[in-house]
Amino acid sequence: MKLTIERGLLMKVLGHVQSVVERRNTIPVLSNVKFDAQSESLSLNSTDMDIDIVETVPAAVETSGSTTAPAHTLFDIVRQLPEGSQVELDNTEDSQNLVLNSGRSKFTLSCLPTEDFPVLSGDELPHNFELPAKALRTLIDRTKFAISTEETRYYLNGIYIHVSDVDGTTKLRAVATDGHRLAKVEVDCPQGAESMPGVIVPRKAVTELRKLAEEFGENIRVSVSDTRIRFSFDGVVFTTKLIDGTFPDYGRVIPTGNDKVLEVNTSDFSEAVSRVSAISSDKSRAIKLGLTSGNLLLSVISTENGSAVEELGVDYSADGVEIGFNSRYLLDITQQIEGDLARFTLADSASPTLVQDTSDDTTLYVLMPMRV
Amino acid sequence: MKIRLLPDKTVNQIAAGEVVERPASVVKELLENSIDAGAREINISVIDAGREYICVTDDGCGIPYDEMELALQRHATSKLPENNLDNIRLLGFRGEALPSIASVSKLNLISRTSISDQAWKLSIIGGNKEGFSPAAHNIGTTIEVKDLFFATPARLKFLKTLRTEQRHIVDVVKRIAMASPITTIKLMADGRQILNLPSIKENNDQSILSRIDKIFGSDFGSNCLQIDVKRENVTLTGFAGLPTLNKTNSSYQHLFVNGRSVRDKLLFSCVRVAYRDFLANDRFPLVALFLDVPPDIVDVNVHPAKAEVRFSDTGVIRGLIISALKHALSNAGHRASTSSSLAALGATNPYVLPNLPLHGRQTNSHSANYHEIQMSINNSLNSDRLELYQPSAKNDENTAKDTGYDSASLGDFPLGAARTQIHETYIVAQTEDGIIIVDQHAAHERLVYEEIKSDIEKKTVNRQCLLLPEIVNLEEWQVEKLCEKSDELKTAGLLIEPFGKSSVIVREIPAILKDINIQLLVEEIVDDLVENEKVLSIKDRITDIYSTVACHGSVRAGRRLNHEEMNSLLRKMESTPHSGQCNHGRPTYIELKLKDIEKLFGRK
Repeated sequence: MKLTIERGLLMKVLGHVQSVVERRNTIPVLSNVKFDAQSESLSLNSTDMDIDIVETVPAAVETSGSTTAPAHTLFDIVRQLPEGSQVELDNTEDSQNLVLNSGRSKFTLSCLPTEDFPVLSGDELPHNFELPAKALRTLIDRTKFAISTEETRYYLNGIYIHVSDVDGTTKLRAVATDGHRLAKVEVDCPQGAESMPGVIVPRKAVTELRKLAEEFGENIRVSVSDTRIRFSFDGVVFTTKLIDGTFPDYGRVIPTGNDKVLEVNTSDFSEAVSRVSAISSDKSRAIKLGLTSGNLLLSVISTENGSAVEELGVDYSADGVEIGFNSRYLLDITQQIEGDLARFTLADSASPTLVQDTSDDTTLYVLMPMRV
Repeated sequence: MKIRLLPDKTVNQIAAGEVVERPASVVKELLENSIDAGAREINISVIDAGREYICVTDDGCGIPYDEMELALQRHATSKLPENNLDNIRLLGFRGEALPSIASVSKLNLISRTSISDQAWKLSIIGGNKEGFSPAAHNIGTTIEVKDLFFATPARLKFLKTLRTEQRHIVDVVKRIAMASPITTIKLMADGRQILNLPSIKENNDQSILSRIDKIFGSDFGSNCLQIDVKRENVTLTGFAGLPTLNKTNSSYQHLFVNGRSVRDKLLFSCVRVAYRDFLANDRFPLVALFLDVPPDIVDVNVHPAKAEVRFSDTGVIRGLIISALKHALSNAGHRASTSSSLAALGATNPYVLPNLPLHGRQTNSHSANYHEIQMSINNSLNSDRLELYQPSAKNDENTAKDTGYDSASLGDFPLGAARTQIHETYIVAQTEDGIIIVDQHAAHERLVYEEIKSDIEKKTVNRQCLLLPEIVNLEEWQVEKLCEKSDELKTAGLLIEPFGKSSVIVREIPAILKDINIQLLVEEIVDDLVENEKVLSIKDRITDIYSTVACHGSVRAGRRLNHEEMNSLLRKMESTPHSGQCNHGRPTYIELKLKDIEKLFGRK
């Protein structure tokens, strides 16, 4: 293999594929990225055995061929090459080593045979549809914060993407929960997705996908099977295994009978929450919300530091109620609300509370109170 | 096959299987017999760790010659005068030891009572009488056991190495000796004296302690706390080691119930609970506790070798032991074990200066040498000098004025006045009769931890409600056990409800334990409840989190402290309970007495 490619382009592609590669690997070849040069293009492929990413870019290929080289080292090198320079990759002289030439720098990197590199992607998946990039970003952004990090309930370690019937129209819905709070968002269901199975996309894949999503074009081609999901766009093919488990029946924990409605300015509320919880040195970060007609009293008591209260004028007319929350959770949710007004629908101090963006009825958050 | 009664010999061998497990069991049974006989001096001699020969001689009351044969019959005993198992005052009562031992060995019983002017000797081989004749012996009894287990060769195969078996014998003798301080006990092994424990002269705590000290090893006496509490008709006395004096296993924890050594898990769990804050999980303190209870509330007829006992009200006993230990430990305040400083002393090598030529007028060949030595010494001392000399020079003039401590007032402060900080890690303080070296990080960590802990105890635990309650599958009895304690669990932050017969549903968890494996937590709690009747796991985990907080929130090694800061740390240590050891049982400071320092310099 011998080829020349522009440094900026190579860095962009390496940047995409190297972030999937784990820092420590028991299988040496997994630390490497696979290069595959054909006529006028270069494909880079990396994997952690769960996620597989392939990206193809144009390159001036002199001799076609393939090899694998350490991903992180290579990225470090290319990043530090001067902008605009040309990079030559060559392993024709010695197949054990990849020689990288750029300007007056020369690096010799030891390679591992291409045959050792696992082949994960390739086959066709049964359900295919086109999803607008913006819709995918929404699905991820609104739910990602609620993904559980606790490993025993592994089926909560991802976003549950599935098709759901909402008032007669089919929607594509994403749900994530860590057992304390839940986030749900839906977008219009694209043609071809109606019959797809419900899938749980693991956290790492969600994070990687979201990074790539910054650069997504217009439409993303999504392919789904029972065990895998694939996203293809602009020369990138991103495939990940799914979490093999059953996502809990979340519909049952979304309350329907809550009758106390509070509407509050989102930014005023989140700033106030953040301010009063500054006094809390406790790791549980409890905050108390005291609601009376037209008024919200936020209070935090810390045995070490003292206490803090702040009042907010709000739109509330139901009976008074006092309820505790983890302030971290409240802020996580309010961060997702882009509209001016946030609507809280409560029942009592021990039951789940609903949070919504008044200007957006596609998202819904459920938060369990804390008993303070 | 016909059902028939087993012959006596077989029955005895079966009983021997329970009672006589190894040579040490023989020693234990014979020694207990001697003590029950009121002996003041007992000599034990073993050969080949007791496999070859065990001989126990006492000066007790002896056995009348017409009862000697009966003594070797099963269930024959003089120790249950009223045939009442509820009132056991002596160590033995089953009447099984002697016949059991006799059935598996060659046994000689020689005894003389005070009213008889002649001793008699009875020989038994494998349970069969071989001879009965007059013999010479002082008042008392000697029992010789030869060829132990010759009649049950299977048992022989299960014996461990000689060394292990001998260790068991020594352990048994030590344990019994601890509980019988008024008896002189000597142990010889293969002609060599292993133990010589003279009886105590006066029956006071000091002499009892010195006896225990001899058995435990010399550190214990100076590093223990006395325990003496009474609740209703139960008395607990004894000694608990300081947490800084610890071992890697629990074999130095002894509980004596009415003078009987028991290896009961009750004791171990009580000790664990009481020392929980001071020791890492894998370290064990040294403890010797003597429990005196009326015979009717303790059942010793549980275990053939009587290693376990049962109390009619375990809760009272447990509460008594734990609170007594905790109380003693709290009163110990900042005391750390002196064994750490003694160990440090042992490690101190007197710094031997090379013989330097005294004057410059030396031959040339020497002067090169002189320079080298001088250089190397300078180099090695330079770093210390920078750290030590300057501050201490300042100290000499200013300490009294700066800090308000002069040598006259030192006596009021057990930890003395801070003199300097070395290596930005250790505070050196001067006390009335020595110096104190404080590990600033460990000490401050403990102080912060104690502060946080007293805060936690004040406040209620916040509970996070679960959106998806977790169902934990358990055994039926475990569910019952958990639900009995549901109120206590709720205070600890865990709200559970029974869910069907064999599972519980967890609805709320302590908010601070956000990402916890609930299933595992519940299982641990069940184990706790079974073992200790207490909910330790949750508290343990919460304390774990706080001790990490304490670690991060405390002064690190490497931070320069000024005199005011150092002295304030010392004063806080004096006033904070448990400040003598860090959260892991290591000492936070060590003390070198002036006389130890003088010893180092050969002044005394």
